[in-house]
Amino acid sequence: MNFKGYRREDGSIGIRNKTLIIAVDECCDGIARNISEKVKDSVVLTNSYTCMLGGNEETFNQMIAVGKNPNVGGVLVIAMGCGSILPEQIAEPIAKIGKPVDILTCQKNGGTRRTIETGIQKLKTISEEINKTPREDVSIAELIVGVKCGGSDTSSGMASNPSAGNAIDKLIDAGGIGIGGELFELQGCQENLRKRAVSEEVFNKIDSLIEAEKSRWSVEGTNVETMSIGNSVGGLTTIEEKSLGALYKMGTKPIKDILEINKDFIDKPKESGFYLSETTMLCGGAGVNFASLGAQMVLWTSGAAGFNNPIIPVIRISGNEDLFNDDMDIDARGIMDGSDTVDNVGNNIIKKIVEIANGEKTQLEDIGSATLTLYQKDQRLEQLLGSCKNK
Amino acid sequence: MNRFSKKDEKDNVATALVDLGKNKAAHIYLSNGERLTNVQSNEMIPHGNKIALNDINNGDKIYKYGEVIGICTEDIKKGDLVHVHNVKSLTVDIPKEFKKEIMRQIKIMQEEGEANEL
Repeated sequence: MNFKGYRREDGSIGIRNKTLIIAVDECCDGIARNISEKVKDSVVLTNSYTCMLGGNEETFNQMIAVGKNPNVGGVLVIAMGCGSILPEQIAEPIAKIGKPVDILTCQKNGGTRRTIETGIQKLKTISEEINKTPREDVSIAELIVGVKCGGSDTSSGMASNPSAGNAIDKLIDAGGIGIGGELFELQGCQENLRKRAVSEEVFNKIDSLIEAEKSRWSVEGTNVETMSIGNSVGGLTTIEEKSLGALYKMGTKPIKDILEINKDFIDKPKESGFYLSETTMLCGGAGVNFASLGAQMVLWTSGAAGFNNPIIPVIRISGNEDLFNDDMDIDARGIMDGSDTVDNVGNNIIKKIVEIANGEKTQLEDIGSATLTLYQKDQRLEQLLGSCKNK
Repeated sequence: MNRFSKKDEKDNVATALVDLGKNKAAHIYLSNGERLTNVQSNEMIPHGNKIALNDINNGDKIYKYGEVIGICTEDIKKGDLVHVHNVKSLTVDIPKEFKKEIMRQIKIMQEEGEANEL
């Protein structure tokens, strides 16, 4: 199966041809949005944490990695000019892989009004350049697809998750790559993961990253929700039951490795197969995590509503009779009453993946897109948890 | 049809795909569509919840998807609702007060279900 994609200088294949404005500090977020309004197919990624660099390297790495995502054709990096993060530090690594990149600093450019004007001109120039990129025929083996769930209920574990897993298996058979995450929600699945990991070494790495995520979220004196009351009223009894249902969306293929997202580096999948990752369970942050790992698309299973992302299209799958609506791309409801099969819905998902890769829009693409949330593991907290463990 | 789904041969529970009243026959299906024998419900089983396919003793493991999803904390009869009131997690269990609230909401669902059947 083939689709028409955008080949980038570094050999990766985009399924969209977006321009990205990276606001390295929150003070220039408004400037970025004003520029974006005037340039078609542009997207804003704002660092809302801080304008300081120290301790926020994971966010810094993610901004660069999202700029390198194949769905992004070119990038404009803007800064207010009084913070620690220089736009050059973000722009240079992205320019190095051959993308048109420009920078703009508000203070040096005569203030907000002039920066917006100059920014529109600069982004339009980039946009014109990338619009010359032709779409060419490529195999679906070029696809990297993330898989994520949210708003889980009984239908997730029985219908939408197994269907997503079935499609991920088929994508890998065709030479593609699948990526899962949400390590906190894999508690109780370790034995299952041990069987799937390609080696004891890979399993140990997975296990230690799950334990690290557990220690991050289970701090004494603070509450943590592994199960919402709604999850349980809907019929889910234990975290094991929820997690095992969630694991179905990750298919059945061997787990090649676990991709890390941290202050020092962001891993990339190397060859066809299934990978786990440090992609967060929090939906907004997960979208950016997947984009930073190089995914061009995400499968999202749920009852309804939720997750959207303006850079990597999200295909929504639901099997919930009560909540299903026209936000959904894939109907898995028939599995619940026995009138449809997981294999058939899996085939429908593969068909949809090819259509979306080919340029067709998802049900909600460009409608009510979510913010690109930069989520990071706070380095100060990491150090504190590390010192707790040493006691 | 009072359809219930048993995900794996090993499972001792099946999931309700409908709201089932008290003293009704649950129709148990495997994922491949094969129909197994009925199980009579001892209480209302709301949609999405689980019914015991046989007697389960305190301390026994609860199997769904062919895997252990928890441990039985009081004797369960065939046909009973299997949930947070008689099962606990082996990793992170739900706090007691949350369990009470969950069962309170399910009790209301059960009472409403019974009222509807009159």
